[in-house]
Order: sequence, then C-alpha cells, then structure tokens
Amino acid sequence: MNFKLMFVTLLATVSLGFPVLAQSDGATGESLKGQSGQITITLHPDPANTSHPRMGDRLKFVSTITNTGTDPIKGVVAWVSLIQVDANKEQPVDLEDWSAHKAEVAASLAPGQSMVSTWPMRLIKDGNYRVVVSAASGGAAGLTASPMLALAIAPKPVVESVRVIPIAAGVPFILLGLLLFRRRRSALA
Amino acid sequence: MKPWNLIARKEAGELLLSVRGILWLLTAAVGMSVFALLLVSNTELSLLDNAQVVYDMLGIVTAMGSLLALIVGVDTLGGERERKTIVPLLLAPVSRQSILNGKLSSIATAWAAMFLIALPYVWAVASTGQNLFSGIAVLALLGTPVVLSFGYFGMWLGTRTRQSVTAYMIGLVTLVVCASPLLLGPALRQSAIGRAFDLVNPFSGAVNAYDAVVIDSMSIISQWVGFLTVGVWLIVMIFGARRSFAGLTS
Repeated sequence: MNFKLMFVTLLATVSLGFPVLAQSDGATGESLKGQSGQITITLHPDPANTSHPRMGDRLKFVSTITNTGTDPIKGVVAWVSLIQVDANKEQPVDLEDWSAHKAEVAASLAPGQSMVSTWPMRLIKDGNYRVVVSAASGGAAGLTASPMLALAIAPKPVVESVRVIPIAAGVPFILLGLLLFRRRRSALA
Repeated sequence: MKPWNLIARKEAGELLLSVRGILWLLTAAVGMSVFALLLVSNTELSLLDNAQVVYDMLGIVTAMGSLLALIVGVDTLGGERERKTIVPLLLAPVSRQSILNGKLSSIATAWAAMFLIALPYVWAVASTGQNLFSGIAVLALLGTPVVLSFGYFGMWLGTRTRQSVTAYMIGLVTLVVCASPLLLGPALRQSAIGRAFDLVNPFSGAVNAYDAVVIDSMSIISQWVGFLTVGVWLIVMIFGARRSFAGLTS
C-alpha cells in the first residue's frame, strides 16, 4: 500500500473520539514478508492516556507484533520511533530524554504468536509528531512498520512567569525596603 | 554565653542588620532576579530544559554564595585590620580560638542567609518540579562546603595580605577560575587537563553533582567523588585560616 495513502486513510477513518491523538483502531501496518516469515504490527495508544496531551505528560503506546507466517521467526527486534512533522521542523526525534524503553527483543516468535509491548513516553517538547513501531529480524529482507499515530503535544511554559516575576521582583523589593529602613535608623542614630 | 558565641552573634548581626550586609544580599538577589527573568523571556525552552534551568540556578546560587562568603571572609579580619580594630580585638580577654570560631560562624551565617534567599528562586524556575527537592538537598550538601571553603579562603587571604584589595583580587581570580565549569560544559572538560582540573576543583565537584542529580536523576549518594573533593577543600581551607590566624600579629 502506498505509504502516504495509508496514513491519510488511517487519520480519516479511525479517530475514536480522540481529538488530539488520532489513532489507528488496531489497524495493521504494511507488512513485509521476510525470509523466515511474515510480521504484522498494530499500534494503539493506551486507553489511560490523556485526551489532550501537554508537555510533561506521560503517555503509553501499545504495539502487538504477530507472526502471521508459517515459520517461526528468530531474533525479532522491535523499536519505537518518533518523527516531528511541524512545517520546516520535520525531523526524527532522539528519544534519549523521552523514553527509557526504546526497544524490545523476542528470541523467537512462533507462527501465530504475538508479542505485546508497551512503550512509555514522557512528552518533552510541544509540536506535531508521528509515533511508529518498527520490527525486524535477522533473516528478514526489510523491516516492518506499524501504522503511524498522530500525536499533537500542547505547549506548557517551562519557566512560568506567574511564578518567577513575583519572586524576581519581590525578593529584591523586600531587601531594598530593609536596606532603606536600616539606613534611616542609622541616620537617626 | 561562650565568647565565641558572642562574637558569632555580633558578626551575624552586623551582616544581617547592617546596611553593608543587606546591600550585599540585595546585590546577590538582584543577580538571581535578572537570571530568572532572562529564563522567562526564553520561549525556546523544552521541558527537558527545566532540569537544565534548575541546574543553572543552583550553579548561580553557589557562585553568588561563594562570592559573598569570599567578601565576608576577607572582611572578617582584613577589614578589622583596615578599620584599625584588629588590635583591640586581639587584646580582648578572649582566646584566639574563640575569636576564630566566631569569625568562621559569621561566614556560615552569610551563606545561610543567602541560601534562604535563593530558595524562592529555585522554586520559581522549577515549574515542572522535576528533582526540585533533590536539587535543593544537593545544594545544601555540596554547595555549603564549597561556599564555606571560599569564605575560609577569603579569611586566609585577609590575614595573609596587608591590603584587603590584594586579598579581594586574588580571591576573585581564584573564584572565577574555579567557577569556570559553569561556563564550560562537561564536553569541553574531557581532555586530560580538564579531567584533572575537575578532580581537584571543588566547584566542579558540586556542579557535576548538580548535573547528575537534577538532570540525570541520579542519587545524591552516588556523588561521593564530589563530596570527597569539596570535603578535602573545606578541611584544607579551615586549616589554612586557622594557621594564618594563629600567626596573626597586629
């Protein structure tokens, strides 16, 4: 299936009342048939995720990797990726600070067997993103990717002016008042 | 009341209630205010940078505290000499040990005041609350010996130099060199010279611990190398201040 067509179809058809995070409703990603079998991947957000994610929130995504072939697949590696898609900021995101759980390995996946993985993520920066889980095995000719989930992260001020300005103005103001008071008392003395 | 306690209370009172002492604290507070306002005006910070902001604020507080302690340290004896009050002080029927302990306590008081003033600033910039309390704890545990070291270093200089301006000059240059890790990130200190400098520099010990605890969420206990470095510095500086004060003549 054409990658772009698949993505547009996915966003248009499977929203589940999730206004910010469009999701796949268990849609199956385009699968590639490797030498040792066939892998399909589904990806969906955890039901406990907030419907309006903001910076600082913690979300989880759940992927299911299934061997739909007839032969066992050895050494399946799955990993999560994040892509920023804001205009003029398109780039893969280094998940170093977003998640400590970025990959998972299954020694073997028997025919019909599935590997369910949960991918926790802490939202570090605002913007529009796509979440995707990919899988590959040593014997496969290529990697298999899940459908992409749209993820819109609302901004949250990192340094809040309502906290900083009263302190930044108030502390010197108090000390200045104390200073003037002491000077006046010294002058009177 | 013991003599050293009396001297300590007098010194603390002079610092916290005198125009000069309040002016020092006000200057430090204005410095922290400017830094905090610069952060508010930055719209490109990501959530990750909040930990970085807290780390930077802890570094600024340590630098300001060290500067304040250095000035107080030089002034405790060098200032007495310049104000010609050193002779009456030494002739007072009080042991030198008591005078010294009182003077040492005044530096600790200056840092305590500075620490209390800094707490609202640290809280204000830590909007996400990530590692805020562990950051304050590591500032108390590692920032305190660093600041006191510079205070005792100032006291040492104040007794060894004839003019306070010389002591201030040497102290400030030393402080700027030691505080360079605030400007030079860890990547720029990876050479052999940089690592050796980090190993002996108390400021590096504290700053690296702030980095590990606040940004990398590591435990404070794991920062034993930093504790060792600042601990050795503190002991050396106390020894130096005591020794130079013991040999002090008018």
